[in-house]
Amino acid sequence: MTETTKNIPVIELRGLKKRFGIGDAEHFALDGIDLTINSGEFIAIMGPSGCGKTTLLNILGLLDRSTEGDYILDGREISTISARRQAYIRSHQIGFIFQSFNLIPRLSVIENVALPLTYKGILRTARLKIASRILHNFHLGEREYYMPSQLSGGQTQRVAIARALVNEPSIILADEPTGNLDSRSSHVIMEELSDLHKRGNTIIMVTHNPRLTSYATRVITMLDGKINTDTKGIEDEMAPFVNAWSANVKKHKKVKLIRQWGKRRHKSRATLVSSGRRKK
Amino acid sequence: MRFLLINHLQNARQSLRSNRMRSFLTMLGVTIGVASITVILSLSSGASKIVSNQVDSLGGNITIVRPGSPQNLSTDLTRIKAQQNYSASSLTEYDFGLIKNINHVAATAPLIIMNGTIKANSIAPSDSAIVATTPDLAVISDLTVQTGQFLDPTINQNTVVIGPQLAINIFGTDQAIGKNLTIHGKTFTVIGVLRRANNPINYNSVDFDNAAIIGLDAGKQLGLGQPQIQQIDVRSDSVANLAQVIVDINKSLSLSHSGENDFSVLSGNQIAQPTSQLFFALAGVTTAIAAISLLVGGIGIMNIMLVNVAERTREIGIRKALGANNGDIAAQFMIESIAIGIGGGICGYIFGYIVAFGISTFLTFQPAINWQIAGVAVFISVIMGTVFGLYPALRASRKDPIESLREYN
Repeated sequence: MTETTKNIPVIELRGLKKRFGIGDAEHFALDGIDLTINSGEFIAIMGPSGCGKTTLLNILGLLDRSTEGDYILDGREISTISARRQAYIRSHQIGFIFQSFNLIPRLSVIENVALPLTYKGILRTARLKIASRILHNFHLGEREYYMPSQLSGGQTQRVAIARALVNEPSIILADEPTGNLDSRSSHVIMEELSDLHKRGNTIIMVTHNPRLTSYATRVITMLDGKINTDTKGIEDEMAPFVNAWSANVKKHKKVKLIRQWGKRRHKSRATLVSSGRRKK
Repeated sequence: MRFLLINHLQNARQSLRSNRMRSFLTMLGVTIGVASITVILSLSSGASKIVSNQVDSLGGNITIVRPGSPQNLSTDLTRIKAQQNYSASSLTEYDFGLIKNINHVAATAPLIIMNGTIKANSIAPSDSAIVATTPDLAVISDLTVQTGQFLDPTINQNTVVIGPQLAINIFGTDQAIGKNLTIHGKTFTVIGVLRRANNPINYNSVDFDNAAIIGLDAGKQLGLGQPQIQQIDVRSDSVANLAQVIVDINKSLSLSHSGENDFSVLSGNQIAQPTSQLFFALAGVTTAIAAISLLVGGIGIMNIMLVNVAERTREIGIRKALGANNGDIAAQFMIESIAIGIGGGICGYIFGYIVAFGISTFLTFQPAINWQIAGVAVFISVIMGTVFGLYPALRASRKDPIESLREYN
């Protein structure tokens, strides 16, 4: 990845607000977000429940509209773009990975993966070819004609990632991609995302799990609809963790937690190396 | 719509398959509606085809004059008028005389259909017709005798020509020449038995297989006062002159009726139209039933599509997140409901013909098979799928993706 691609802002948010409810029930899920995301960043968004992470992700993914503020994607102001055009951007530029996988249960694995290509107007045979190729990359070649219900959680999420990647999006939005998985499967999934990041994709991931922030190049923590901390650089590995939890964790517990985290992290990495997944 | 059509079709097929029973029951509503439409159309056009074939086979130079203004041949159920039998006919013997003298008229025959009892060894069934006419009827309507001869002005007027079925009904045999029968208490001698024609539906509205045909003068003497002419059959000397003959008939009858337009001169396909008000009433009622069953079937489609949309809310959310726009989602559900419509329509068309052929074994004619009926069946089913699928499809397309994704699966 060259310096030039790294510093082009793909996403710019200025004073973004999202209001739910009216009158007494009025509540700002997002309360003035200013954020610039450059191409090729791997961003982890953390924060307690209800702080607006998912809402932010939905707005970034053009599934939702902000109440106030500007969202500029690739230099275009989103509020001026028609719904049809937004769907076009979703199908060409954005890949979604959900916590609950969201595969369509009545379609087979390969049909699920080929689904985004449908809306790009690619013919069936070509669609299935592309989907098959990407499933092979994810070591799911033998599962092509399984139904989603016949897969394990980790496999399902890999299918979901394959689906998010099949239309070669430049931006990948992941909403707690490992939320439903055990730690082993989580790391497999994170390795996949990490690979994608290395290939130059912009990844924005919402997570509850501070251990996963080690894969990110930038960690943003949110609180009550606002950005709390914004930490760049993978060099200071402790910083994101400390920042993320400092607001909620009492000081005397902090040290203990950091120690635990360090140990666990070391262990899980070691497992992965020994299983051979990281050698390729 | 890019290349999505094929994809939507595959999708619809798959979704309909996964809910076989439900799809089948939904289609059934459409099937019944389209089937009844098919039955009505095929039978009624089969019936009118028979008459028009008769008219065609007679050389296309036939015109008929009926009492009553042309407007009275309406299909309007609310304005059914009394049957001709009960009202005085506006056609008189004088009119018949006028028509006979028009240029290019080769033959003409009035039809006076009377009520009365035909009696011989046994009494004829009440549906046997008594027709008073002139010998020209044989030429115009292509009646041929099996034995004996047709009416002839030169022989005794107390003679009768009977249909083979009537002969069997009252004499027990169709060898009835020379035997006597009484009509209205007056004795007639059988001089001819007609060849079996087997077409009770014809433009004369008389089943000649089961009729007694007597001369015009004899008919008048039966003591029914002014003869009630139900119809005057006219044959021109050539096809080319038919139009002129029709104009002349209109002109001279208008004159004799002092401008009153109380008669109609029919030719070609007009003759083929069923004349019985009852027929129209029956067709009207069956059409109404078919329309109701189509409406119910359509509501069934809408209902099931709404269930489909509700069931697949999450899928809609996923598809939208993956890049489907509102149009794509609407088209997906639209095509599914149209597929239900067309599927039901095709089944209904086939089923309708099975029923129609079943019914026709009790009738003397076959249901007509033509592209118009197929067209109507397909048209109705497509329209139903579209109309009743529109609302669910719009509802699906307007779903908010986030709300949809939150939906419990």
